[in-house]
Amino acid sequence: MHETFAFDETDRKIVEQLRQNGRATNQQIAESLKLIASTVSTRIRRMEEAGVLRVVAVSDFAVHDYHVLIHLAVEVSGRPALEVAEELADFREVFAAHLVTGRYEISLLLALRDMEELSPLITEKLSQVSGVRSMTPAIGLDIVKYGLDTAPIDRKRLV
Amino acid sequence: MTDTSWQRLDALDHKIVSKLALDARISNRAIAAELGVTEGTIRTRIKRLQNEGLIQFTVVTDFRMAGSPNLCMLGIDADPSRVTEVAARLKMMPEINCVVLLLGRFNLLAMGLFTNIEQLNELVVEQIRSMPGIQRVETSISVHNLKYEAGVAKITRIAAID
Repeated sequence: MHETFAFDETDRKIVEQLRQNGRATNQQIAESLKLIASTVSTRIRRMEEAGVLRVVAVSDFAVHDYHVLIHLAVEVSGRPALEVAEELADFREVFAAHLVTGRYEISLLLALRDMEELSPLITEKLSQVSGVRSMTPAIGLDIVKYGLDTAPIDRKRLV
Repeated sequence: MTDTSWQRLDALDHKIVSKLALDARISNRAIAAELGVTEGTIRTRIKRLQNEGLIQFTVVTDFRMAGSPNLCMLGIDADPSRVTEVAARLKMMPEINCVVLLLGRFNLLAMGLFTNIEQLNELVVEQIRSMPGIQRVETSISVHNLKYEAGVAKITRIAAID
């Protein structure tokens, strides 16, 4: 499960190029690194197959019609927090769900199309989940920066 | 919170985005064949999505390669008149991946991936608490990620032009 993957200098340079432009052709990458195109394509395939990275399109919140972001701090009682978090994470409107250390047990980010989605989500869905003791919201006024370039990579999705 | 360019995305745009979200290196020809349109259409659509800052092609690295980091969330309270200034400074920090201005329990939410507590503590104590206008920084560490989305981001115009 924990195979080690050794990056060499060439791999690192290719990754750097892909970070700048993930859709650069093998030929373009090869030219800027003074390699041949087949080396570039073999290296990229090898890294992807090993599950160490994926070259993907990241899309803006706007593409998904997410125009409202809400942070919800959830306190749990009478039920294991993990179970509650799993149930909450299943809702489409829940964009991120984490079990956290600190004053509350679960941190949620809700991504909504508009404010009107909030009321039914809170009253009919989230507050009906057993074990939710309290929910403290904060309204997202502006997303100044949001981009996670590290993630658990599911190798099956590559096939 | 966002501009209005999203309104011009149609069903074909969405299909193209979902293909590229799985593999950004798929050829225009392959996308065209799968969606039953011409290669030129795909090329034009992708160019437009990129120019409008709606998509960006990059690398997502596996957690293991990054030393299996934990997502750390910082709930920050700052003097109301200095919140945007604090947000701008947080945005410049390479360790911080996300910064959201909030109205509620905190003024700001900042998130970053850390492989050790010392590194997090150093950032909070030496760089964040010392910023002018900071009142309080509350740290929570994610011990289990149930839903974690790396495919959706805030794309800035500058990054889109590159």
